[in-house]
Amino acid sequence: MPQEVGFFTDSTLCIGCKACEVACKQWNQLPDDGFRLTGMSYDNTGHLGASTWRHVAFVERGGEALPGQGSPRDGVQQHGGGMRPFGELVPMGQPAPTSLLHDLSPTHIARPGGDGATARGPETPVPLGPTQQALSKFSWLMLSDVCKHCERAGCLEACPTGAILRTEFGSVYIQPDVCNGCGYCVSACPFGVVARREDDGRAWKCTLCYDRLRGGMVPACAKHCPTSSIMFGPLDELKKKARERVEQLHARGVPQAYLYGEDEASQPGTQGLHAFFLLCDEPEVYNLPPDPVVPTAKIVQSWKAMAAGVVSLAALALVAAFSVRET
Amino acid sequence: MDEMRAQGQADEPAPERAGGVGGPSFTRPPQQEGDGRNVSPQLGDLLGEGAAQRARPPMERGAPDLIPTAPEDPGSPTYHGQAVLKEPVWTWEIPAYFFTGGLAGACAVLGGAAQLAGGRGVNRFVRRARLVAAGGAVASAGLLIADLGRPGRFLAMLRVFRPSSPMNQGTWILSAFGACSGVAALGSLLPLPRPLQKLADLAGVGAALAGLPLVGYTGVLLANTAVPVWQSTRNTLPVLFAFSGMVSAAAVFDLWPVPGPGRRIARRLGLVARGAEFALSNALHREAGVAPRVERALRHGRGGLLLRAARFGLLAASALDILPGARTSRTRRRVIGALGLLGTLALRFGVVAAGRASARDPRATFEMQRAGRGAAEIAKERRHPMPAPPGVDVGGRESYTHGAAR
Repeated sequence: MPQEVGFFTDSTLCIGCKACEVACKQWNQLPDDGFRLTGMSYDNTGHLGASTWRHVAFVERGGEALPGQGSPRDGVQQHGGGMRPFGELVPMGQPAPTSLLHDLSPTHIARPGGDGATARGPETPVPLGPTQQALSKFSWLMLSDVCKHCERAGCLEACPTGAILRTEFGSVYIQPDVCNGCGYCVSACPFGVVARREDDGRAWKCTLCYDRLRGGMVPACAKHCPTSSIMFGPLDELKKKARERVEQLHARGVPQAYLYGEDEASQPGTQGLHAFFLLCDEPEVYNLPPDPVVPTAKIVQSWKAMAAGVVSLAALALVAAFSVRET
Repeated sequence: MDEMRAQGQADEPAPERAGGVGGPSFTRPPQQEGDGRNVSPQLGDLLGEGAAQRARPPMERGAPDLIPTAPEDPGSPTYHGQAVLKEPVWTWEIPAYFFTGGLAGACAVLGGAAQLAGGRGVNRFVRRARLVAAGGAVASAGLLIADLGRPGRFLAMLRVFRPSSPMNQGTWILSAFGACSGVAALGSLLPLPRPLQKLADLAGVGAALAGLPLVGYTGVLLANTAVPVWQSTRNTLPVLFAFSGMVSAAAVFDLWPVPGPGRRIARRLGLVARGAEFALSNALHREAGVAPRVERALRHGRGGLLLRAARFGLLAASALDILPGARTSRTRRRVIGALGLLGTLALRFGVVAAGRASARDPRATFEMQRAGRGAAEIAKERRHPMPAPPGVDVGGRESYTHGAAR
């Protein structure tokens, strides 16, 4: 029996390069979505769709950046003590790490004609320009979104044809040769992942690279991720790694970091995701629902209400029919 | 020239490309029907997981859809105002089917009740009810199939029996209903010998029994989605649709009256059902009102307009029915019938339009789940969990592996 595998997507490592989107399109031979600009951010993909199975979200935040975010000063000792969180990003061969926002900008200018600090004491600091000031109050959150392959999947339970099934790897797979394009899974997915391509008439979504898994390969997006933001592996190992990463981030001064949907305790509605995430803000910011639930989990009440309704309807019809009976 | 280049590329390196005039010259590989994949058939095989996806060139598809956005509000964050859910892909056929299915099912229930009660002169009523039920079943099946992305594969719905999928259950219910109501209608139309008449009567009762879930399950079908309006009104919707179906069935007999006691059956039921439907449409707003943003979709936009029209139609029909002289005035009965049919039609389209609007609105989903109407509600339902049906085990997994490669 093959192991259950999945994705752990660490949003703190994502640099928004979209290599995962490209790799997914290329390996799965998906058609393009037309070339257009959304005009809202660097995210010109917009959302997951029938022919977009990975999507990098670009969240622009005007407030304070996360510690170290947006600056390669990470991983060095801070003045007040403690470490910046992203040690792996320190440029190599530098006596001190540089910062695009501060160290490279002309904050220190020697006066013309003088010979620098030795003659006239410390150099005169020059204030940051308006653009740099604005940038220093600005940060990105990036997240590569994908089908979550829920432990209890809304699309799978809603599918009227049985076209959607659970594979031996624990992923949720739509069989294109069975799908009849009823569109029920599109509405049943609490994450808005599944989509029907109108040219094609069938529902499509990420397959967790079922063909690659069968061949013993890593899914294309995880293979191509240059920063290991997308990690692929057996679920139990991934969960262990993810929890360690959260602890590491907490120790390094990012108390906001948390896991989204790693098990049933954190997401009872789906009983845990096979593609879970490390986030640094509310789920809504990344366009993820805060408390998603597979609709079938709540449907028994609805069937009962229907039964009560139609039984009373039948009773009313019988009463009406017998009350006007002529013999 | 281009063709020669393409061939040369496949067979051997084209010498002219190495040292072309004026720097390297690139030939664009011939595209596979310009479908946006840019895979040259000479260089690559279309074998990927998504390669079977049919795609027309973008020009044939028309302009790319604009991403719907909600206005910014710093208090409640969204992702650039984009929808979190996918809007339902269903077109007008689905709400129209809710109407025809409800009408047919309720007609069969009426006919079955009248048939069981019996009495003098009720036969014409039973016959009419059977005909409308059978016609509605045929129309419903047609509408359902027309809405499929792959209509040729509609029978795939019947390859499994899945209690976890209301759509699958509905297909079985509609199939049973279609068979029963068809046999019953034939029994009313044709001069059949006595044993076959008995069979037709039995089919009439069967159609009434199958018609009961048929009028109500469409509410469950909508409730079993992530769409905020539908999911949060999951206790009201099935009952509302059931009574709405009865209103439309009674309206048919107002519009197209039969002599005999049937008219009175239809009138009495119509009065009660209209009252119940009005009360239930209020309950719909109350059940959705836990998250104001969800309830908003029921009041604003096209959905709100249609739902208001539906309530107006119901009230107007009831008022006309209660005022004196309604029993005898033929024109007034026709108006009552027309108002009833239009009102129930507007109700189905209104509920679907409101659902679509709430799916487009990311804050509807967020607010609903933050208000404890997401997974937090399951704790309450744990007392009545979805039983593990054949086909899906407790974990939501397939307990049998149809098509799973091992």
